Amino acid sequence: METNVYLCENEIDGIFTGIYDAWASGYGHENVRVEVEEARTLSLFSRYHAVRTDSGKAEKVARSIRSKISEKAYHLVFRTALSADPGKADKIYRFLIAGFRYGSGVTTRLADPAVMAVFEASRYVANEAHLFREFIRFKQLKSGIYFGKIKPVNRVAVLMAPDFEDRMPSEDWAIYDETWRDVVVHRADGPWVLVRPEGSEWERMLKESEEEERFQALWRTFFRTIGIEQRRNPNCQRNMMPLRYRENAVEFWEKEKR
Amino acid sequence: MTALSEEGEAATRVKMDFRIQKELPLERKLEILSDAAKYDVSCTSSGADRRGRKGSLGNAVAPGICHSFASDGRCISLLKILYTNECVFDCKYCINRCSNDIERTAFTPDEVCRLTVEFYKRNYIEGLFLSSGVWISPNHTMELLCQTIRKLREEFGFNGYIHVKTIPGASPELVEKLGFLADRMSVNLELPTSEGLRRLAPHKTRRTILTPMKQIQTMIYADQEKKALPGGRQLPAFARSPVALQRPEETERKLFAPRKPKIYSDFVPAGQSTQMIVGATPESDYHMVMVAQALYRNYDLKRVFYSAYISLNHDSSLPDTEKPPLLREHRLYQADWLMRFYGFRAEELLSEEKPDFNVYLDPKCDWAIRHLENFPVEVNRASYGELLRVPGIGVKSAQRIVLARRSARLDFPDLKKIGVVLKRALYFITCGGRMMYPTKIEEDYITRRMLECDRKKNWQIEHPETYRQLSLFDDRNFAGADPPGSEEQAAVLSGQF
Repeated sequence: METNVYLCENEIDGIFTGIYDAWASGYGHENVRVEVEEARTLSLFSRYHAVRTDSGKAEKVARSIRSKISEKAYHLVFRTALSADPGKADKIYRFLIAGFRYGSGVTTRLADPAVMAVFEASRYVANEAHLFREFIRFKQLKSGIYFGKIKPVNRVAVLMAPDFEDRMPSEDWAIYDETWRDVVVHRADGPWVLVRPEGSEWERMLKESEEEERFQALWRTFFRTIGIEQRRNPNCQRNMMPLRYRENAVEFWEKEKR
Repeated sequence: MTALSEEGEAATRVKMDFRIQKELPLERKLEILSDAAKYDVSCTSSGADRRGRKGSLGNAVAPGICHSFASDGRCISLLKILYTNECVFDCKYCINRCSNDIERTAFTPDEVCRLTVEFYKRNYIEGLFLSSGVWISPNHTMELLCQTIRKLREEFGFNGYIHVKTIPGASPELVEKLGFLADRMSVNLELPTSEGLRRLAPHKTRRTILTPMKQIQTMIYADQEKKALPGGRQLPAFARSPVALQRPEETERKLFAPRKPKIYSDFVPAGQSTQMIVGATPESDYHMVMVAQALYRNYDLKRVFYSAYISLNHDSSLPDTEKPPLLREHRLYQADWLMRFYGFRAEELLSEEKPDFNVYLDPKCDWAIRHLENFPVEVNRASYGELLRVPGIGVKSAQRIVLARRSARLDFPDLKKIGVVLKRALYFITCGGRMMYPTKIEEDYITRRMLECDRKKNWQIEHPETYRQLSLFDDRNFAGADPPGSEEQAAVLSGQF
């Protein structure tokens, strides 16, 4: 029998709707596949179904994961859905089959490939979020907002937001994800929100405050003197802080400005 | 005559108080005072767990957060600075000793606060590490640190992580005052024996170091007990000291138990740490690990740091080494981990007869090879504690094995799937009674295999300087290398090269 591929939007609601539709289709688990739109490489002997995102269906899927499997499983799935892995939607689908079969115990079944696949994808996302939480640098804009830019592989801005909300509760700040074009915005003493920036107003906002350069220079001074010359170890430094995380880290800039 | 001696006295006082001659710009101060602070190893921001509060800045997360990595590969988590590098002590190994002729300066409390807060908001740091040279007297210095930290907490509303050094010889009242403002405090032991201290740090004694350590420990207990149990009952020992010398069986039980929130004291919630210099005095590794173990047991330290001796001053009482003993330091850290997380005792690792670690093998491998009678262990049955003793199996792998074998019998491919690295472990384990390959459980054979695994790594630790791979598209400016002229480019194109 041919495979039925459910093509869904690359958002958590889209993926959940795709899973809902594929599950309800009645073709049987081995004859369906869920894919996100971006990952599309058409294959032979497959029938393609376009999934229209439906927040009601997505809500149902989320609810059943939480109540029938566990909160931990939901977190795993949520993080996997943020990953850049093109096969993530189907990985979640296969994980949920095992999940609804074994219940909350599924998260200990590490030797099961369907479980391990989700574990690995989720771990990659969580690790990257953690690294950007360490290495993101904010600069103060003219408007007083602290603004930080990241260029992650996975869509990690929403995972970083709660941490910074706790860290700087009474500051205005924003995190901009260049890869996925997400912006997380936080108002002093308020909650954070995810927005999509548009147009030139956005660019105009990014003027730095007068003091900014001074603190960047001070930080560079500190960074330069704190290393011990007799223990110089660029290899270790690179293992701990890979080059791709350094792009926005001011201490690695050679000149004052870019 | 009197006038003259008075003048002379005044002159010495001036020399004592005001060797700091002129006010320097902030940038220069930061340069001098971070440069002077960098030999303190401790950089962690771990051990305290404190939520953010509206109206103030910062929080503290139990595992700690690194924010950058310096050119020596060490993590930068805290703004590590001295309040001043002025010092009346004359510790032989220290760059700031009073007999050195170096530029001296001091921050003001306001400068420290501003730097901390502005760096913190930019996510450069997780908090402040404030140490100091001894200015005029230990009490005077401690008073200054206290003022600074109080200002940072109260006026600047800083709720992030603060690590402060206790100055040996400062009064207990000041230690107490500071302890309620800081997350972690530390006094450096520096040298493991009192003999070593006498020779190299004549102004410090065992007593001035250990007294504040004991005081801080006692006050942490008192505060935890007050908070935890209103009835005044004693906390069980493991709740007091969650990291130091944990018993593996307890950890295994905890893996499956629901997590209980840990009780943090308001007094030095992240506990204390200390540091010992490796290789400045002739103590053996055995001596070092025994001292570390005693510190963990008797003083409940969270961490003992080891610092490979770097020759900064030329002094007849110091060894004249060119390179810091990095591999030895690495072995000591490995042993430290074995004691804190793997249930090893110092006496198991080394003894009077075998006082130093094997240069070629890590301490766990070395132990396992000397105790082959305990191996191989069966992965599906061995206790968590036994798994931890297998070379190549770390805490994470052991935890995953214990979890995964509840739902399935594990075989070698399963171990690989759950991320256990078998390169070393395969000589020490069986799955369902079988070893991965036919292997001799024989000392020489296994030693040879282990040496092969470690050789490259050991070399890298001793020779950290390496080169970065170039990419074809890197736009790097090599000094002295002129860009190719058009002639050469043409030559390339026409295939003359």
